[in-house]
Parts: sequence; C-alpha cells; structure tokens
Amino acid sequence: MSNPMMSRRGLLAAGGGLSVAAFLSACSSGSSQPQASGGASSAALTLSMLLPGDVPVGWDPVLAEVNKKLQADLGFTIKPQFIPWTSYGQQALLKFTAGEKFDTALQARWLNMTQLAASGSIVDLSSLLSSGKYPNLTATIDPKIIELNRWSGKLYGVPQINSVARFHHFSIRQDLAEKLGMSDITDFAGLEKFWYDVKQKNKDIIPIGVSSRMPKLMVAWNPVGWLNPYMWDNPNVSIASFTGDSFNFVLAADGKTTGSSNPIPWWEAPGMVDALRLIRKYYQDGLINKNALTLDSKALDSQFKAGRVATGWAMTDGLSSTALPELTKNVPGAMLANVMPLKGGESAKPYQTFQSDNFVVLNAKGQSNEKAMQLQDWVSIKENHDLLNYGLPGKDWNAIGDDKYEKVSTYTFPGFALAWRAKLERRIKDMTESETKWFDWAQNIDNFTVDPYASFVPDPEPVKRENTQVTAALTQFANPLFIGAVDVDQGLDKLKKALDRAGLAKLQAEMAKQADAYLKGQ
Amino acid sequence: MAARKGWVVGLLALPAVVFFLVFNYLPMAGLVVAFKEFDVNLGIFDSPWNGLENFTYFLESGDAARILFNTLFLNVLFLGATLAAGIILAIMLNEIRSTFFKRASQSVVFFPYFVSPVVISIILQVLLAGASGGGGAVNDALSGFGFPAVDWYTEPGPWPWILTVVKIWQLGGYLSVIFLAAITGIPEEVYEAGMIDGASRAQMAWRITLPLLKPTAAVLLVLGVGRIFYGDFGTIYAIIGDNGTLFDNTDVIDTYVFRALRQLGDFGTTAAIGLFQSVVGFILVVIAVLIQRKYSKETSIL
Repeated sequence: MSNPMMSRRGLLAAGGGLSVAAFLSACSSGSSQPQASGGASSAALTLSMLLPGDVPVGWDPVLAEVNKKLQADLGFTIKPQFIPWTSYGQQALLKFTAGEKFDTALQARWLNMTQLAASGSIVDLSSLLSSGKYPNLTATIDPKIIELNRWSGKLYGVPQINSVARFHHFSIRQDLAEKLGMSDITDFAGLEKFWYDVKQKNKDIIPIGVSSRMPKLMVAWNPVGWLNPYMWDNPNVSIASFTGDSFNFVLAADGKTTGSSNPIPWWEAPGMVDALRLIRKYYQDGLINKNALTLDSKALDSQFKAGRVATGWAMTDGLSSTALPELTKNVPGAMLANVMPLKGGESAKPYQTFQSDNFVVLNAKGQSNEKAMQLQDWVSIKENHDLLNYGLPGKDWNAIGDDKYEKVSTYTFPGFALAWRAKLERRIKDMTESETKWFDWAQNIDNFTVDPYASFVPDPEPVKRENTQVTAALTQFANPLFIGAVDVDQGLDKLKKALDRAGLAKLQAEMAKQADAYLKGQ
Repeated sequence: MAARKGWVVGLLALPAVVFFLVFNYLPMAGLVVAFKEFDVNLGIFDSPWNGLENFTYFLESGDAARILFNTLFLNVLFLGATLAAGIILAIMLNEIRSTFFKRASQSVVFFPYFVSPVVISIILQVLLAGASGGGGAVNDALSGFGFPAVDWYTEPGPWPWILTVVKIWQLGGYLSVIFLAAITGIPEEVYEAGMIDGASRAQMAWRITLPLLKPTAAVLLVLGVGRIFYGDFGTIYAIIGDNGTLFDNTDVIDTYVFRALRQLGDFGTTAAIGLFQSVVGFILVVIAVLIQRKYSKETSIL
C-alpha cells in the first residue's frame, strides 16, 4: 500500500519539475543574445516594425505586393504591427523596455526617444549610414538635415520628413469664414473674430477643436504655442524639456554670448500667463470643446471631417487638404484654408531646430540592424516608396506627373513612420492654395533661423525619478490649465506646488548644467 | 483503496497545480525588481539593488495618501453598492411571476456585464458631454428642470458617484443571478411556514429571503475585500483616462502605476507599488476572514 504523503510529494515534485523546466526554458529564450548585424538568416527573415494607427483599409494586397518585391530584391519580408494612436506611445515604450525583439519603430522626442537613447535601447546609426551601403537613402535625405538631427554627435534614427521645417498652425473652414465675411485671415485677431462669429452664428459647430493629445501644444511649445499670440508675434523662443511630455523650460536667447542658458519655468517667460488667461476666456465662452481632456484625436478628426469643427490643428506636412474629400462629401461646398498667424508672414524667419518630428529607430535587440537599414534604403526608391505610401497604382491612386497623385481609394499609410522622403513625396491633387503656399515655405531652410539650442537634447537619466513625478504632476495640473478648464491663478498655484513637491528645482538645475555644457561645446 | 483515490484526485488537480505554479507562483521571482534599479540590458537578476528606493518614490510623491484613500473609498463604495443592488434585484426578479418576463428581465439586467469599459466610456461621453463636448443628454434633462448645465468632465466632485452608478449598472445584474441561485436553494417549506403565519410577500422577502442570503453575501464580500486594493483599472481608466481635473477623486493605485510605467517604463517603481498593493490586499483578506469567522463561523470560507 502506497503512502498518501508520498503521493502529495510526488505530485509536488512533478509540478515543481515541470515549472522549473518551464522557467528554465523561459530564461533561456529570454536571455539569448540578439543576432549580430547581418547575421540573421535571410532565407526566412521577416522584419517586424511598430507603426502607429489602425491597419490601413486595403492593406493586405499592398503588403503582399511589398513583400513579393522585397523578397525578390533583398531576400526578406516585413510584418508591421499597427498600434492604435491612443496607446502607441506607452505600448512602444513598454515593448522596448521589456526587451521585445522587433526591428524598427516610429519614435520622436515628443514620444519617448530621449529615454530610449539614454537607456541604449536604440542604435546609433552613424556608422551604418556612413558605410556607403545605402545609396538610395543617403541620396533622398538632405545631409544638412542628418547633421541637425544628431544628438550629441549620435544619430539615433532616420529622420522621416516631407518638409525641412515643421510648424504647428491652424486648418480652418474657409467656407464658414467667407460666409462670415472674412475672406483672408492672417493674424490672431482675425482668428479670434472668426471663432466668436462661428460660435454666435453656427451653434452646432465647435469653433476650436482640441483633443486629449493637444494640451501640451497650446501655450509653451516649440517653435510656437498653438494658442499663444505672443509667441506668434515673437517666434524666436527656445524651449527644452527632458522628455516629450515633461516640463518645458525657456532657455536664454543670449546664451551663446553669455555662456549661460538660464532655464526658467515657462510661466516666467513673457506672454505665457497671458495666453493661459486668453484660453481660459475661450473655454468659458464655449469656443473650445468642453471634453478636450478626454476626446480622442481620431474622434476629433472625424468630427472635423463631419463638419462639426471650425478650426483644427495643422502641421506643415501638406496633409490638411487630405481631409477635404470626406469633408465636402459631408458638407457640400466646404473649403479649407491653412492659417499661419505669424507676424511678418512668410518673411518672419522663426526659430527652427530642424529636428524631425518623426524618426525610424532601430531596436538594439532587433534581429538584423543591417537589414532594417536595407529596408530604409529600399523605400527610398521612388517605385517602392510610392507602393508603400500610396498603395497599388490604379487601384488606390493614380499618378499625376512625377510629383502629384490622385487618391482613388481610402488607403492611408502612416508614411511618416516608415517611408517619408522629402525628395520623393507626391502632393495630393487637391491641395488647397494656402496649404501649397505654406508647404512650399516649409521646404526652404532659408526661411528659418536656426534655434541656438537646435541640437541640444537633454539626457533625462540623472533626474529620472524627478522627471517622472514632474510629468505626472503636469498631466494632473497643467493639462487642465492649458485648455482653460480651471481658473488660471488657482490652477497655476496648484501646479507650482505640485511641481515643487515633484522636484522641479532639481530638474531646473540639471537642465542648466546640461544646456550650459552644450553652449560651451558649440 | 484510499491511497489510489488520492492519486486520482491528485492527478485531476495536476493541471491546475502546474498552471498556478507556472503562472502565479514562479513569476513571483520577478518581485525582486521592486528592490532593484532595473536595467533592461542587464536583466532582472543582474540589475543593481537599490534597497527601498522604489518604495520611497511612491510614498514620498505626495500622492500616496490621496491615492490610497481613493482606492479604498471607491472600492468600498463599489462593493457595498453592487452587493446591495444584486440583492435587491434578485429579490425583485424573484417576485416576478411570469417565467418569460422573469427570464427576459434577467437577461436584460445581466447584459451590461458584457459591455466593454471602452463602450461604457463612449456612452458616458454622449450622456454627459454630448458629441460636441458641450451639452449631453444629462445636461439637457437638467436644463429641462431649470438647473444649470454642469461641465462633468472638469468637475471632480460627482465622479465617485457616477462611477458607482456605472458599477451598479455593470455588475448589479451579474450579482443578482448569483443571489437568485441562492434564493432558489431556500427550501419551499420555509416560505410555506411564513404563509401559514400570515406573512405578506414583503415580510417574507425581508424576514426570510434576506437573512438566508447572508452567507452568499458574506462569501462575495470576503472575495470582494480581497480585491479591494485593486482599483478596477479597466473601467476607471477607460472613463477618466488622463483627465487630470478628475484625479483628485478618481485616481487609484492602478491608474497611477499605469501612468508611471507609461511615462518612463520604470519597472522597479511599478513593481514596488504592485508588491505593496498585494501585501496590503493580503492583510485585508486575512482581517476580513477573521472577522467573518468571529461573527459568522458557519459561513466562513476558511
């Protein structure tokens, strides 16, 4: 007769043995070293990459064609992972920090690129790019842009650009403006009148549409705050932060001559508190949507296309006009215009860091960094670039000459996250006149002044803890202030107290130290 | 014979035991991260130790007291309200005579349990803010009664109650099914005795059904207390998101940890807060079980 105690022991031993085996196998797979560059077997290699947004409509046939060509040309295929915008930032960061082995990702300073560079999670591309193995890539990106996108001499990503400079501005419903008797809006006062008139005469339309991703852009942002009239009049303010969502310091304009960067909290700089008060007034007067802190950017975009929003956010990337076909379908006769209330207009010469808004970064734990660069080179060939960005010719788009295209399906690929090349980009056939003007303006480096701190990218590592706490305090206290949802004096007071507790003084001292060192090295 | 039976039972339990060992106990080794300055490149075990620094981050952040209070307060509110709603709904459903109507009502009240928190958040936005972010059905109703409109998404005060209503809507029907099952188990003779004594239906519900539901309620309560330190991340984050104006009354440990991890990928700190959460949760379960044993030994789960 067997002993019941032995049975339990046997059982535990069996379970324990299995568990240890599972644990060891997990450890062994987790601790395996990534393959050296170029060492991956090309026979069945599939590169994976993180892309933002939803899977494009009509994606499967395009991917099949891309993979057929890639397999024939380079001997590998790709398998992108699309992550919704609402969680792209956090999911991408977690995938990097958890050591996942995907190959490339969209990153940027406004996402988590500084943390990733500091932690060694992404690859310095300098030697890969200068190896001469990627001629198509180097031929399609301006060397000046490459130089300006180096951080402390290192290139942490391939800049994805379709214009040399980026400038936040406004995309407005020109048809509404004309109905209200305003044919051409060129300054902030004109915009304000437009918003109030829309509010008064079109009760179902939100004059200024703000989504939950936008509060940080409103007041103290580089090169100008979206709703900060002072900055539009004085577009030569240098702003720096440790990470994308973290605290913005304003740096001394005369730093190069004095050697002192003297970073001050943004509210101490001219015009900032006035902008807060103005936005508070707009919010109370019902110009800004009341659910701005919770409204998803995609939902705002659909509302804009449905004709329920009079003013949306725009960038000098030529993409505002792409909303037009859907907008005119919903609101016949609708028109769009890009408004840049820049004092001096096209001759204003605002500061510009020329830092790309989007980079393709290579994961240090990726399968083959060399192949990831080959992919970047491959999409720098016009035919391949067009296929990925615009879809199947004849089915998704038709070429109009060498530099324009007509959309014939709803295929929309996030080209900025993998395959934007300024020299290869086609413009949409229906680009509005005003967008064409400002897009052309943003193509010329001479229209801008190089920000004195253009290549300064602070390292967050020495103040990692404080930076996190400061960022948490900003989410809680600054965002409501930036959209005007709370009283300015009370809100600012609460924000300052929370930031003091979180360690703003330490952050400021570290910023001064690093920015001064940068000035010294210039 | 008994030993053989033991083996058979042991064999049946084996998959579950292995499952829990692999997925629940082995990962506990990862808790060392809470005491380390975690570096992805070095891995869990080679990262340098940093003592209790990860814990002090949370406790010194100035947010700890508010977050702990919110976590406890909201969960006590949710637990009490959903249990009460479940019991009341079960008694009401039990009073329905038509079998068809009873089944239909049961399905209707159970349905919200399957609705995802994201959908709930959209329904709430439409009700509280409207499509244009200024208005909404609730404000329309308020103005119909002559009350001023409320900016619900920037007014933290009502949110614990709004979330409680959401939880009742979500879980009331689910819990009522559990209580209905318990009511079915009450012997018919007890009600017959009540009828003979001249009790009305209300008196029978109050004096017979309710006291006999106590053991079920007690078990659900203890199970709920065990999770009281978990902030119901899914619902709260889907509804509140990063809306800082509402944090004062809605930020709980899980949403706080999620933001900390998202903003810096700081595994050490999040593991420390997670460990703290689990230890306090464990202590609360032990206390709840001890109290239950003292006052209602026959219904104790231990």
